[in-house]
Amino acid sequence: MNNSAYEAYRAWATHEITVPPVVSVVIPAYNEEERIIPTIGAIATYMSSRGEPWELIVADDGSTDSTVSLLQNMRLANMRVLVAARNGGKGSAVRRGVMAARGSVVLFADADQSTPIEQFDRLYRKIVVEGYDIVVASRSATGAVVAGKSRLRKMLSAGLQALVRIGGGLAISDTQCGFKLFTATAAKRLFALQVIDGFSFDLEVLYLAQKNRMNIAEVPVEWIDAPGSTVNPVSVTLQFLREMFKVRMNSARGRYMQHNHLGAGAGPAPSVSVSVGEH
Amino acid sequence: MEIRSERWDQRHLITLTGRFDAHETPRFRELLADLLANGSGLSVDIDLSAVHFIDSSALAELLRAARAATDVGATLVLLNPSDPVRVIFELTALDQAFSIRYAPTVPDTPGFTG
Repeated sequence: MNNSAYEAYRAWATHEITVPPVVSVVIPAYNEEERIIPTIGAIATYMSSRGEPWELIVADDGSTDSTVSLLQNMRLANMRVLVAARNGGKGSAVRRGVMAARGSVVLFADADQSTPIEQFDRLYRKIVVEGYDIVVASRSATGAVVAGKSRLRKMLSAGLQALVRIGGGLAISDTQCGFKLFTATAAKRLFALQVIDGFSFDLEVLYLAQKNRMNIAEVPVEWIDAPGSTVNPVSVTLQFLREMFKVRMNSARGRYMQHNHLGAGAGPAPSVSVSVGEH
Repeated sequence: MEIRSERWDQRHLITLTGRFDAHETPRFRELLADLLANGSGLSVDIDLSAVHFIDSSALAELLRAARAATDVGATLVLLNPSDPVRVIFELTALDQAFSIRYAPTVPDTPGFTG
């Protein structure tokens, strides 16, 4: 039996790294007691097997179940649990996680492992080899494989993404997939600017990235619907539409410039670059 | 997930390949129920070497299968869990609840049939 990935995981789980991490993985978690441990197991095994130092940050979002105690009892040497006193929304949890990250790149990944972690390196190469600032996993780009998604969710997603392109002016085929990789510089800059605490923070972050002329790539991924989501697709869709409008209003009112703590807007690249696919 | 079932006399080998999650548990449960219907003395091995992810629903299903096997006088052993599955077993402390073996999966006895 080849024990290398397992042994790498054991070393990561028991010995705190002594150098800055190359990769920070941020997982937002709200009442995830049933899903979080298998996801951490899969992510920790794969990321440890890569050989680069990495850290895991789980940003609790005011969970009322046993999520926090489960995480704290795991006692993983390189995992930090950021506990929130109350539920502030997924966007607020990811923001806290990103701001606490110490890695050169920051991956935001959903707690349900619906985008399998094994696809991380396809996104990572876009940053380290091709120099992108942000790489977005896409369920809509050519080559993506989507399994288990209901017809209703497919229809709502397609409609929303069309609205995002037309109404939001974003040239990205899938803004909402919970698997996005940022350079640390881009992540800190964008999450210092963004203000939406709810589900639509991704849309806002990508809008700001495009506005700040960052280079964004999309990579088609395999995505499997993870049963157990308590999200109501219709109410989430309505919330998304409201927040898309809010992003445009915030931008028109100059609110993002007021929140510019890290100097965003200085020295943008000459043009927006959005790349889709493996190329 | 692909499920392959092979039988040799009183031994069954079930090989799972892919992602074992709530979408897959009904098929797995049905297969195990059929196998254990006359399960006294049966030996059921479940090869997990090609399972790259297992969620909570599937973990619960394996526990249910192990208990059902015990109830009918059969034995159920998990063979060669992949590294991520092994880690998930440890993190959930289920490595203590299952009978797990690291061994060749296919019996070397002639006559093993699929």
